Amino acid sequence: MERVTVRVLQGATLAAIGLVWEAASRGGLLDPLFVPPPSAVAAALGPVAALALPRLGETLLKTLAGYAIAVGVGVGLGLVLGAARTPREVVMPYVTALYSLPKILLVPWVVLLLGVRPQAAVLGGALFAVFPILVQVVGGVRDVEPILLTVARAMGTTRWQLYGKVIVPAALPAILASMRVGAVFAFVGVLLTEMFAGIRGMGFLMHQLALAFNAPFLFAATAMISVFSVATVLWLAHWNRRLGAWR
Amino acid sequence: MRREHIVVRHVTKTYRTPSGPVHAVEDVSFDVYEQEFLTILGPSGCGKSTVLGMLGGLVRPDAGTILIDGAATDGPDPRAVAMVFQDPGLFPWRTALHNVCFGPEVRGVPRRVREEEARRLLEAVGLKGFEHKYPRELSGGMRQRVAIARALALGSPILLMDEPFGALDEQTRLLMGEWLSEIRARARKTIVFVTHSIQEAIALSDRIVVMTARPGRIKDVVPVGLPFPRDLSASAAVALRARLWEQVREESLRAMTEGQG
Amino acid sequence: MRLLLWRAAFLGAALAAWEVIARPLNPVLYVAPSSVPGAVLRLLSQPDLPPLAEHLGITLRTIAAAYALAVVVGLGLGFVMGFWPLLAQAYEPIIAGLYAVPSVVWYPSLMLLFGLGPASKVAFGFLLGFFPVVLAVLAGMQQTDRHLVTVARSMGASRWAIYWKVMLPAMAGTLASGLRSGLALSTVGVLAGELLGSRAGVGFLINHVYNLLRTPEYVALAVLVAAVVLVIDVAAGRIEARAKQWSG
Repeated sequence: MERVTVRVLQGATLAAIGLVWEAASRGGLLDPLFVPPPSAVAAALGPVAALALPRLGETLLKTLAGYAIAVGVGVGLGLVLGAARTPREVVMPYVTALYSLPKILLVPWVVLLLGVRPQAAVLGGALFAVFPILVQVVGGVRDVEPILLTVARAMGTTRWQLYGKVIVPAALPAILASMRVGAVFAFVGVLLTEMFAGIRGMGFLMHQLALAFNAPFLFAATAMISVFSVATVLWLAHWNRRLGAWR
Repeated sequence: MRREHIVVRHVTKTYRTPSGPVHAVEDVSFDVYEQEFLTILGPSGCGKSTVLGMLGGLVRPDAGTILIDGAATDGPDPRAVAMVFQDPGLFPWRTALHNVCFGPEVRGVPRRVREEEARRLLEAVGLKGFEHKYPRELSGGMRQRVAIARALALGSPILLMDEPFGALDEQTRLLMGEWLSEIRARARKTIVFVTHSIQEAIALSDRIVVMTARPGRIKDVVPVGLPFPRDLSASAAVALRARLWEQVREESLRAMTEGQG
Repeated sequence: MRLLLWRAAFLGAALAAWEVIARPLNPVLYVAPSSVPGAVLRLLSQPDLPPLAEHLGITLRTIAAAYALAVVVGLGLGFVMGFWPLLAQAYEPIIAGLYAVPSVVWYPSLMLLFGLGPASKVAFGFLLGFFPVVLAVLAGMQQTDRHLVTVARSMGASRWAIYWKVMLPAMAGTLASGLRSGLALSTVGVLAGELLGSRAGVGFLINHVYNLLRTPEYVALAVLVAAVVLVIDVAAGRIEARAKQWSG
């Protein structure tokens, strides 16, 4: 009974917003140049898809590349730092400081270094994603219960065995969680770099649409990419649950 | 002859859980007399906490009636009944003093009056000087004493206690039991006490209600009749202990085999 | 104490290595640490560069406006939803869903709607900061220690009294975390907005010196902004820790 009420409330609110928006925009209350009616946005979805999907594909490829680099560095370095107490305590404050630094400040330098080329966007994505991954992996490794390590060592494991058979399995939930978070950050990094530098891709496309005052196309593109993001997050969450089910 | 303070008649409670109905309490009837210390004793999962919850108005019985001073209960009534739980549940952001003040505060008692009363109660429970300490600065036994002072601040004639010393270590538990007996003599309250410890039951109560394993019914009502201060090594006490242990053991075994313990 | 020395040594070694590597390379691309202090001085004194203090002030004011808006709307919406659980059940999934969208996606739309002036930066900063705040309010309410509510109920507290005297204090810690995240995100939002296109503020300044290829000044500005952000976040972190301790 309650579930039905909730669904009705959600649906009614969204419908109400849609109707008010449509009326306000058509009636001139909201300037249709800036705020097109939902019907115009919906109509633009078709043409935008033809234009945007290839760009989205390019952006996603760069995201994947940047993400792969970030995961490699972040998880690798994280596993090493997490387990070695002194280097970790010395280095972590700096990592945390860099983590809280708005990464966008690094984007101009990345573009300067690699030019207005896809590689810059890849590096941008990698930089955005590597810090959250690193911090979370270090945390996960550090939090492995000491008793597990003691027991393993007492049974004569080598350093590599300790990593492979104890530390990584125990820290796996944190590692997977960090990888989920990292994916979103990599995406953001690539988009921001594309927008800043004018590198061909989804970010640049949206920036161009905004500068050209093409509101229906821009809103349609925004809606498209929003739906895509939500779907991806839900999909990643589903996999996280499936893989983490053994806990 | 003392009159009945609480009357429980044919009370039943069944919980609906995802894995099927749980018959916590079935057709329970007993009386609590004024100013007596009544203990409800039984194995884990026998429904004693449910019974206490119903006395306190937190749980509604599916069948039966509960009368307090002749009136049916309908929700928590702090003027009649105060509760103390195993988890002291002190508000971490309030000092001991302001925790004790909480009940009167929500009833609109003026600040000066309620703070003075709170100070008096904290002294009565032996925590003079700790008024401005936060719960995290207090030991387990002290926190429970603050919780008791907070319950006493409601000024209700009935005190319900659900395994209040269960989370404390053995020594503290025994000391708290002794302390409660002393308090009880001075405070003149009707106390309903839930525990699974026979020792505690014998040390503190006037009568003991023994409950069966789930579904919880009354197995026996045993008067204690030993003089205070209680000497647990006296032959009468030892005999009583043996008798209660026999009953509780039977029920505990049933509870364990049915997967409840 | 020894740890502090090790940390200082690490920083010194890193800076020294950076200096050695960067010296012989293209100074436009690889800025040696030694050139940064000079750049800072130039930023402060040279008349051909826009005034640093003024732009820093603009940025800080924009952040303050964006954050204030995020806090007011976030807390307001959060508390209203918290008091009527049906609203929370209905709208929290929608809000969480919107939060799943990388906020940078909204920025071009905001740019179109509000132009390149401060309004779009405030809007973007608000949008980023709003989500952590409102979600923290909702999370705080759901995570209230159930036992404390039971205790209050057994003492006859009304629903209103439970809301004000138990749930609100109990969630101060979670709320402080959300407010801290909100501040960090609002800051990032405003900076991003300024960097992607603006006529004023620190982001604009960075863009300006970057386009002039004056990279030492760019590094100096980046370090300065990072330092300011760090100081604000550390302060917010202290308040958060206090709130967490207070609410248990």
